[in-house]
Amino acid sequence: MNKAGTMTDHPYLVVRNDEEQYSIWPAGRILPAGWHEAGFSGAKQECLDHIETVWTDMRPLSLRQGG
Amino acid sequence: MTAREWEAPASFGQERIWLADQLDPGSPVFNLPCSLEILHPIEADEVVAALKTVVDRHEVLRTSFRIVDGALRQVVHAEVDLDVRVHDLRALPAEERKARMYDHALAAARAAVPTDRAPLWRATVTRTGDARWVVGFVVHHAVFDATSAVILTTELTELCAAAAAGRPAGLPELPIQYADYAAWQRGQLTGQALADQTDYWRSRLAGLPAVHTLPTDRPRPAQLGYAGDEVRFTIPEELQEQAAAVGRRSAATPFMVFLTAYVALLSRLSRDDDTVVGVTMSGRDLPEVAGLVGMFINQMVVRTDTSGDPAFAELLGRVRATLLDAMENGQIPFQAVVEAIAPQRDPGVQPLYQIGFNYIPDSGIEPIPYSTSKDDLAFDLTTGTSRLLYRTDLFDRGTAETFVARYLRVLAAGAADPDTRIGDLPLMDEAERASLLEAGAQEPPREHATVCRMVQAQAARTPDATAVIVGDRRLTYAELEEAAGRVADRLRRSGVGPESLVAVYAEPCLELLPALLGVWKAGAGYVPVDPGYPAERVAYMLADSAAAVVLTQRHLTGALPAAGATVLAVDDPGEWTGQPAAGSSPEAAPENVAYVIYTSGSTGTPKGVVVEHGSVAAYLAWAGTAYPGLAGQALLHSPISFDLTVTGLFGPLTVGGAVRFAALDDGVAAGDRPTFLKATPSHLALLAALPDRAAPSADLVLGGEALPADWVTAWRERHPGVTVVNEYGPTEATVGCVAAHVAPGEALPVDQAGAVGIGRPAPGNTAYVLDGGLRPAPAGVVGELYVAGPQVTRGYLNRPGATAAAYVPCPYGPPGGRMYRTGDLARRRADGSLEFAGRADDQIKLHGYRIEPGEIETALRARPGVRDAAVSVREDTSDGRRLVAYLVGEADLTAIGDALAATLPAHMIPSGYVTLDALPLTANGKLDHAALPAPSAAPERRYVAPRTAAEELVAEVFAELLGVEKVGAEDDFFELGGNSLLAIRAIARIRGQIEVDIPVRGLFSYATVADLAAEIERRLNEDLDQLSDEDVERLLTAEGDGRP
Repeated sequence: MNKAGTMTDHPYLVVRNDEEQYSIWPAGRILPAGWHEAGFSGAKQECLDHIETVWTDMRPLSLRQGG
Repeated sequence: MTAREWEAPASFGQERIWLADQLDPGSPVFNLPCSLEILHPIEADEVVAALKTVVDRHEVLRTSFRIVDGALRQVVHAEVDLDVRVHDLRALPAEERKARMYDHALAAARAAVPTDRAPLWRATVTRTGDARWVVGFVVHHAVFDATSAVILTTELTELCAAAAAGRPAGLPELPIQYADYAAWQRGQLTGQALADQTDYWRSRLAGLPAVHTLPTDRPRPAQLGYAGDEVRFTIPEELQEQAAAVGRRSAATPFMVFLTAYVALLSRLSRDDDTVVGVTMSGRDLPEVAGLVGMFINQMVVRTDTSGDPAFAELLGRVRATLLDAMENGQIPFQAVVEAIAPQRDPGVQPLYQIGFNYIPDSGIEPIPYSTSKDDLAFDLTTGTSRLLYRTDLFDRGTAETFVARYLRVLAAGAADPDTRIGDLPLMDEAERASLLEAGAQEPPREHATVCRMVQAQAARTPDATAVIVGDRRLTYAELEEAAGRVADRLRRSGVGPESLVAVYAEPCLELLPALLGVWKAGAGYVPVDPGYPAERVAYMLADSAAAVVLTQRHLTGALPAAGATVLAVDDPGEWTGQPAAGSSPEAAPENVAYVIYTSGSTGTPKGVVVEHGSVAAYLAWAGTAYPGLAGQALLHSPISFDLTVTGLFGPLTVGGAVRFAALDDGVAAGDRPTFLKATPSHLALLAALPDRAAPSADLVLGGEALPADWVTAWRERHPGVTVVNEYGPTEATVGCVAAHVAPGEALPVDQAGAVGIGRPAPGNTAYVLDGGLRPAPAGVVGELYVAGPQVTRGYLNRPGATAAAYVPCPYGPPGGRMYRTGDLARRRADGSLEFAGRADDQIKLHGYRIEPGEIETALRARPGVRDAAVSVREDTSDGRRLVAYLVGEADLTAIGDALAATLPAHMIPSGYVTLDALPLTANGKLDHAALPAPSAAPERRYVAPRTAAEELVAEVFAELLGVEKVGAEDDFFELGGNSLLAIRAIARIRGQIEVDIPVRGLFSYATVADLAAEIERRLNEDLDQLSDEDVERLLTAEGDGRP
């Protein structure tokens, strides 16, 4: 059986921090400080597929700007 | 049979209790103590007479048990001697009186009540005042239950009141006796009704976990013991009312609400959606038995699915439905369910359920404390004083108290807001929560932000010290720096700089470290590619990393796949003769990539982990201080394509030590003993076989998989002066981020599985043990391990989706921070250190390698004829842990082996193949690993003819009882179809044939013919000393009679 308290079926949000690193976060839960919604939500895999298309440069922003 | 006694079949419930009693004879676990007060000015003989009247009314209080023809019978006696002790404590001061009575009650409750002698109870009658008596009653559960206590109290009270008033007592007539009920019950549950209920339970309990996963303080002993204790508590009245109100809204009883909170708590603490609780039902549905003393209760298994993180109210609905359904099918005795579903017993585990829940009427009387517990853990809930009973073999008092506190917290939160998801019900108070989320120690001061700089600084301090040793060739620090500089220059000329990747396709050689440091000096990152890998995988890694340059050795250039990259041979002096570059290109920043290491990928292709310079520097700055042996000589024996080697490869160069490349078992010169060695636990076996001079003299660091404590203990005995470190860390969190240091003489931190704990996070890093909703798991509770801090890497090369899934927002650290989800399970010990608890997914760790079965399965499914495939690690083979592939289809196994070898590295090639008709699945459609057969076609159980007279006797009894033609010495009673009732018969027959005192439990501990026969012989031998010669003679003859 699934492990207690997992949320694989729940909708997720695509989120991004100030380094423009992307991740996902369960919709409806308080988003940790320093992270912002990136305007996409859906099933976990949909969110990951979306990130696959929008996160084109995986270097942190500070590195991109400095380099 | 005489008129003085008569026999009847035992009820199912009696059979179960009696049987369980036989498993631990002499234990008071089935003693039920109860007490009541009589407030009348009557004399002792009047109280005793009242008691006698009750005993006269209820046959069951005059009943004992015996085995007749292998079946349990109850024997009702016309008369029994009342076992009543009378005390008069009126003269004592109140305090002393209370203490004395408590002592009496406790002593009575703790003395065993044998079931073969009537009556199965004893009483004490104590006068505490002129008009005040206390009756203490201790009775065996086989003839009594909680409602019986209420009946006994009511009848005694009425009889004494009548005696005091000089009037006849008004007691209801009893239409039937307990024995009538037992006979009726046996006749009732037959045929279709029994079959239907059996079917219901068989399907309801299919795939039931053998034992709960609630964390215990100690490992489960092999034998079930009943030593127990209790924690008392009260559910505040206000909370009881609130719970009742929540229940009313869902047409549920308060009992269901209390049970729901229990199920929610168990699910959270055991991290399982499949919670199993044994619930006691009164079993007195018939009006005829309402007024009878006797054993009527029945246990029912309540198995609740808590998946999907339901709200408390929703879980209440599930519990209600489950319970009502179970009650519909609850006439079948628990014992029959056990026999139908789980006949083969583990002598250390109570079958079907180990966690109980009773909701009993409040008697209003101070309960007598229990010193036993039938269940691992059980609630006796009342509206008054409730208690948690627990087995002291498994739990500490503190843990039991915490359990109760958590229960009350969960119940209060669920009752206050039934819409709360059970995952959000609070388990902890603020202080406990805060302590779990505490960040690790401060990061150590770092002089340099990159390892390249650290080595450079060391070279300036000790230019002439030896830095690298390969065979009898050496490089000093100055030579190393210079050679690395030449590599860097050459790379720069090829356009390499920060964020470029350079593949290193080379075997260990003197030029390897200059090459790696050269890549770093050029500002770039390296990609280690093992020349031992199949060509296909090498090509994949070169293409995926898009390395512009490949550094290799001359003899390997031919093996490189044709690609667009510039290929440079590190051992070709011609390549490196160029003049040093005039201008220097930009140096690497801490945020730049230092290396990319490929790990097994679950979807079929390996993933490259991008590790930045700052992370490597953070790790090595810590390792340099944590491992003093690095300043001596480190032996580097494993391939650089795994990040395990980063410690020994660069660590010494940051603190003035030397790196020696050699195999573990290379002849080591006596004066060349390494000070530092890092290896996987699997290497320990190899080390054990080598001379002492191959072992490190200062630090042995082990990592890569779970570390068995006994291996380490053996090694430490031989090398008592060496610090042993269990280092934990996925590549994604840079080499090692959590470690347990065990200095010489220090005790090993060992978990219940016999593995060494993984200790605490390295400075600057934080390790979180979180549940599925990213909430901290309390100490002792398994959760998933997350790591945050400077060692968390950038992500997977060119895989934004996979990176986003594994590197997630950290709710507990600095704003915007990420934490890496390791996929490993861990639990926190009470002292805050961590224990590894397996994988959350299917990933395998074998001999230090990290293997995604999905990657091998994808390769297998790609082969013609393979319809489905699964890969599993077997631990049950004689040659230790091995990787086994299971295939569905008609495939040529030899061809498959060859094909895999062409695409996968050697550590991912299964060592055994098994062809199946279909993959076994669990009830919820997942691969059932437990049902996968062992490989190498386990030979059919060989028939071994009984070899001794005792074996012949046992085999014959088994064959007869089980209807099996030929029973061999190695055959197992339960595997042949035996169950616990047949076990009673088997033991009874054996006892009938030879005079040996073998308990019924014997068959549960010694289930094979050979084992049981050996036990019989052992007991016979034990008795021999006490026998006369004639006795021995007679015994041996009797034994001989067992021969066919």
